[in-house]
Amino acid sequence: MADSPKDKLKYSILKVIDVSGFKVFDPPVRLIFGEEPQKQIRDIAKYMLLPILFIGVCILAWDIIGPNHKTKSGEVPNPAKVLVAYSDARRFDQREDEKNHAFEVTGSERKSEVKRVESKLAQLEKEQANLQKKSSEIAQAAQKSLDTQLAPIQEKYAALKAKNESAEEVREAEMEALAEKIALKEAQPEKLIALLKQATVAEEKEKEAESILKDQMDLIRDNPPEEVKEAQLVTNKVADEVQHHKKLLAILTKENKSVKEASLLAKAKEDAEQLAAATTGKEVLKEAKSIVKNTERAESTSEQSYPRTATIFWQTRRSLATVFVGFIIAAGVAIPLGIMCGLNRIFMACMTPLISIFRPVSPVVWLLIFQIIVGAFFLPDPASHPLFVFMNDSLNPFSSLQTNPAMIFSACTVAMCALWPALVNTALGVSAIDKDHLNVAKVLKLGFWSRLFKIVIPSSLPLVFAGLRISLGVGWMVLIAAEALSSSDGLGKFVWDEYQNGSSQSFANIILACFVVGIIGFFLDRLMIILQRLVSFDDGSATA
Amino acid sequence: MSIELYEPAPERLNPKFVEISNLVKSYPNPYGEDFRVVEDFNLNIRQGEFISLIGHSGCGKSTVLTMLAGLNEISEGGIIVGDREIDGPGPDRAVVFQAPCLMPWLSAYGNVMLGVKSVYPHASKAEQKQIVEHSLSVVGLADAMKKLPKELSGGMQQRVGIARAIALQPKVLLLDEPFGRLDSLTRMELQDVIIDILARENLTAMIVTHDVDEAVFMADRCVMMSNGPKAGVGEIMEIDFARPRNREVVFNDPKFFEYREHLLAFLEQRSHIKGDTRTHNRENLIGYMNKAELIDLEQKLSVA
Repeated sequence: MADSPKDKLKYSILKVIDVSGFKVFDPPVRLIFGEEPQKQIRDIAKYMLLPILFIGVCILAWDIIGPNHKTKSGEVPNPAKVLVAYSDARRFDQREDEKNHAFEVTGSERKSEVKRVESKLAQLEKEQANLQKKSSEIAQAAQKSLDTQLAPIQEKYAALKAKNESAEEVREAEMEALAEKIALKEAQPEKLIALLKQATVAEEKEKEAESILKDQMDLIRDNPPEEVKEAQLVTNKVADEVQHHKKLLAILTKENKSVKEASLLAKAKEDAEQLAAATTGKEVLKEAKSIVKNTERAESTSEQSYPRTATIFWQTRRSLATVFVGFIIAAGVAIPLGIMCGLNRIFMACMTPLISIFRPVSPVVWLLIFQIIVGAFFLPDPASHPLFVFMNDSLNPFSSLQTNPAMIFSACTVAMCALWPALVNTALGVSAIDKDHLNVAKVLKLGFWSRLFKIVIPSSLPLVFAGLRISLGVGWMVLIAAEALSSSDGLGKFVWDEYQNGSSQSFANIILACFVVGIIGFFLDRLMIILQRLVSFDDGSATA
Repeated sequence: MSIELYEPAPERLNPKFVEISNLVKSYPNPYGEDFRVVEDFNLNIRQGEFISLIGHSGCGKSTVLTMLAGLNEISEGGIIVGDREIDGPGPDRAVVFQAPCLMPWLSAYGNVMLGVKSVYPHASKAEQKQIVEHSLSVVGLADAMKKLPKELSGGMQQRVGIARAIALQPKVLLLDEPFGRLDSLTRMELQDVIIDILARENLTAMIVTHDVDEAVFMADRCVMMSNGPKAGVGEIMEIDFARPRNREVVFNDPKFFEYREHLLAFLEQRSHIKGDTRTHNRENLIGYMNKAELIDLEQKLSVA
């Protein structure tokens, strides 16, 4: 089969593709190695191009249909807007990185950084001034054309309004006169009522005619020419950059860790000098206190880190960490329990009611229960609880994620909901073990533990991993909901915050988050499939 | 292959090494009645003897073998192996199953080692390794020890199964249709492997088979079972070929065809009858005994 090194390479690539479950990439690889080109091209057309075409059609449909639906938070964003939201999120994240760097940088590096930012700022401000000038010119020109467009309508509107007002005055006078007559018993009150009804109808008609014209004017005002919009956009962008660089400069020169520390230490030194020069005991005490305070603050400054604003990328990392914590708890509980269930029918009978009752419970209920129960462990001051001190200070992947009780009980909720598929599948895998294998174990007189570890567990592994795969999928879904509800940082909270703050880009951000959640879910599933195939002794052909 | 190994001094041969007496396997149905698959099965096996058990499918051949292996509960009667009545499975009675039943996640070596470790827990690592390697080389797998079952052919897998059984150094080797799923060429190879091993290790063995040629070629005595339910020993046929057996010699021997015809006639005759079909005549009673017992009986008779 695999004779030449080229063939070997080909088959090893194909094997990787097969194990990772990306069968779609099989034909292109074969095509590259020149195996039956016509067949491969046919396969590529069938299983790659057509699906891509279909996705393209879907995106096109979204692009066309989406903006037609007007909602309270603006129209449904089209794909381009979601892409813009993504690039904005990228830029935001990048800027946070820059700020973080500006906060940490010290010595000569800081100085050169200050110089760089200053020159950049000067350049940007010049550009901004230019653009502002240009954009105001464009806006003026646009205003002029707008005015010429609006003038005739405005004239019409004024004329109509004057006409309507005079008509109303006439009606009022008429009615007043009639009312006088009625008071003198010279006319019937029914007449006046009829007249009033007529007046209302006439007024409504007049108002309608006015509002049509008003709408026409609004439409013209609300849709300034494209070039104005574009100029505004470009100007805003540069203004944004200017703002960012100003902030950077401020961080570099004032908030920077080393700068702050140095200034505090300088203050302490000054205090020491003043203390030496002090004459009264009161002054000495005051200066000594100040020295202690400033040195302490300098020390704490050196331990500080830049308070990053949460970006979608950071939220994603935190969600992933939470789901893995929850998943590991779930696996740690479900696999031993599942094995016990599979081995012992009495234990299974004891567990069945628990499983049947708790499995259908909604994640929301679990979240609330865990919020109360788990929250109680970290009272009264969660931030100083040894677990969080340990995790935030020294446990590497978690130190940047600001672990807190909300994360723990979100993870517990994930664990509680992800538990069941793994548990049930493990129990099934253990109890469905091949009778022949058990007979072999009997003949070989294997003890309980070696039967468990040499026969039962290995033979149930494929089903266990199938269960874990479902568990991880469930966990990921549950987590997003739990985060949204519990305000635990993560993608769920990101979506919820975006929904609440309702800026112009919120809707696009929510859709962006939807894609992020989906794509990560997909990759988590792939990961589990690969693990499942690696533990399957039958080449994993049973799983799709 | 050495002939000396096969022919131990006759006085050391225990004529009742395996003693199966009044063996019954019954399954109670929900109405309080017993469904008796096997009833009053009696058989003595001499040490070092090879018994083949043949009969129509479903007659309870495998039931008898699994009861002897201890994998199937004995309803009534008893089985004595060596000097002890059996109680559950044990490494003194190794089984080769119809399917190789290898652990797919273990290599050939690992599969054999699994049993060795459990039966010789106190042996040193080197000794265990030696036992495993020896048994694998006996079945001709010295070069494929590290291979996983899926990398082996069906015949090779069954060889691993045989190696696993003999690595336990059992007193009795039980073969439950071990070649049923193999093609005839592989089957012949493995028959030779088994005959070879038995000759070397002087094992007592029982094989359950459908194959008339196999039953005649391999065994010293062929036990024909009557049809179930209530199956028992129908007839016992001594097969008198020299050991170690040579396929060509045996298959060209006119006696082979006599034995074969006899067996086929038995099976043919029984294929129409249900229930207890045992014929309790003197010939058949003699058939219940093995050679040693028969000599014993004849001596007694001549004295009288």
